[in-house]
Amino acid sequence: MAIMECAALTKRFGAVKALDGVSLAVQPGRVVGLLGPNGSGKTTLIKLANGLLTPTGGELKIMGMKPGSETKALVSYLPDKEYLPEWMNAKQLMDFYGDFYSDFDRERAREMLARLGVDEKRRFKQLSKGTREKVQLILVMSRQAKLYLLDEPIGGVDPATRDFILDTIIRNYNPEAAVVISTHLIADVEQVLDDVIFVREGHVLLQSTVDEIRAREGKSVDQYFREVFKC
Amino acid sequence: MLGKLLKHEFRATGRILLPIYGAVIALAALANVSIRLLDRELSPILRFLFVLVLVCFVLGMILAGVMTAWMMIKRFYTNLLKDEGYLMHTLPVSVHALVWSKMIAALCWFVMTFLVVWLSIGLTVLIQNNTNLGELLAELPSWHEIRQVLREMGIRGGDITLLLGETAMAILLGGVMTCLHFYAAMSLGHMFSENKLLLSVVFFVLISIMFSFFTTGYGFYIHWDSLDSAETVAGGIRVVQGFIGKALLMEGIQAAVLYLATVLGLKKGLNLA
Amino acid sequence: MDWTFRADQPIYAQLVEKIKQSIISGALLPGSRLAPVRELAMEAGVNPNTMQRALQELEREGLVYSQRTSGRFVTEDDRVIAMQKETLAKERVRAFLASMAELGFDLPSILSLIKEE
Repeated sequence: MAIMECAALTKRFGAVKALDGVSLAVQPGRVVGLLGPNGSGKTTLIKLANGLLTPTGGELKIMGMKPGSETKALVSYLPDKEYLPEWMNAKQLMDFYGDFYSDFDRERAREMLARLGVDEKRRFKQLSKGTREKVQLILVMSRQAKLYLLDEPIGGVDPATRDFILDTIIRNYNPEAAVVISTHLIADVEQVLDDVIFVREGHVLLQSTVDEIRAREGKSVDQYFREVFKC
Repeated sequence: MLGKLLKHEFRATGRILLPIYGAVIALAALANVSIRLLDRELSPILRFLFVLVLVCFVLGMILAGVMTAWMMIKRFYTNLLKDEGYLMHTLPVSVHALVWSKMIAALCWFVMTFLVVWLSIGLTVLIQNNTNLGELLAELPSWHEIRQVLREMGIRGGDITLLLGETAMAILLGGVMTCLHFYAAMSLGHMFSENKLLLSVVFFVLISIMFSFFTTGYGFYIHWDSLDSAETVAGGIRVVQGFIGKALLMEGIQAAVLYLATVLGLKKGLNLA
Repeated sequence: MDWTFRADQPIYAQLVEKIKQSIISGALLPGSRLAPVRELAMEAGVNPNTMQRALQELEREGLVYSQRTSGRFVTEDDRVIAMQKETLAKERVRAFLASMAELGFDLPSILSLIKEE
């Protein structure tokens, strides 16, 4: 069964169509790049999958269920915002995640925080911006979820942080789970992707494996993407 | 899951309100001492200092009240409608649990603030030179004496219990309504992509107008002259009980409408920036 | 091992090539045990599925074999390695000849150039 599936999914904000008839499927064990320029509908799709928005038309299902409490227990989500209460410290944040997510692996989180040298007693607010982003990713990746939805995890981070993020994603790879990474910086993530979905102006342009594109086009997905989205 | 939400809600609010309570109680103790010493011959500076303590104490109580109300509004706003909403609305909990956790915590803090304010006022005025707690309590009539008087007026114990129960319910519902008034206004205002705060204010006013219609309707619905026709105190109490009962029903309906609006806004219209 | 990848080919194919080269050159000894897929993937900075696919390809070619319980090993069969070595060498020579032909050299002049070197 597909981990996530959309059929003719449409989302309208007033007169603006953010998504228009999107159909796609994400299979278990795959790392999928959701690629498109800013404003192409990537974040809208991810928000719909998290139940943060309600579709205007069509359908979206996670493990065969509409987004709701049951699917939220299966999905681990990294928003493209700083979303954690800034007065909390790492220890309190782990308490929080552990309380609400039965799949949260506290030991794994502690180990990763220690590797980063994050003081568990230090408030989130007092950490540097880069460290905050890493703490968020650690919490999200320390869950044994079925679907990881990472919205722009590498947008505007330094190369060391980018490597940490990609390393964390590979380290936590699980053949029963799927990872969706939305980004417009393809060169940075291409090596860890199995599949790519190109989106433009609310439409899916293409869904393919990375190997297929490289074999067929004789160029990297990044080069191919630039060609497709050249204006 | 409601229990866990409440635990974290109290953690988030307690860290602000508990220190304020502590400060108010400490100021009450200082105020007590100040009042005693102000009776004596003092240098102007000391006199000024003691008066300042009293002023701070009063300001502290006001701050406790204002902060309790502010926390009720702010927790809903920042935790559910701003960036933290990304965390809260992706937890495996229902929207109902989210709203109830906010409301229950706010109501508990209303009660706590009420108790702390009265406790600290008590702490300030009691055990002064001119008053004595023991004498004061001895002057109060005993429960037995009160019942004696009531019985002579033809009022039964059950009537009083019911009236007190109704009053408690009315206070509770009033608290619930206050919370839901703000919650519904913000929840509806944040369904839109822009001018979320401005629209929240507009919804707040619209809800207030709706309330006044309800209240006017209540005025027509009640037979005020039945109070005049009551011949005994006991009869009057029964009539008032009826009034409160009907008012509770009205408030209950309004609260239900507001609750539905809040939940629907969060469920179907959530639109985090 | 150097883990940079060219853009014009699938990554798994480049992984196959790199690992094959390590086996042929002796950097990976016959019979030695390979690290688990996840570790190899992390070292190369690639997706575990991609590494898995590369290792399966190597298995198909007989350069690597897997034992259900103890993991993957480099083949101990010298003939297979020698054969792969020869195939790779021939491929490179062919590619070299093709590129020299583009420059306008014929076989005898290439041979004399090699002798000079």
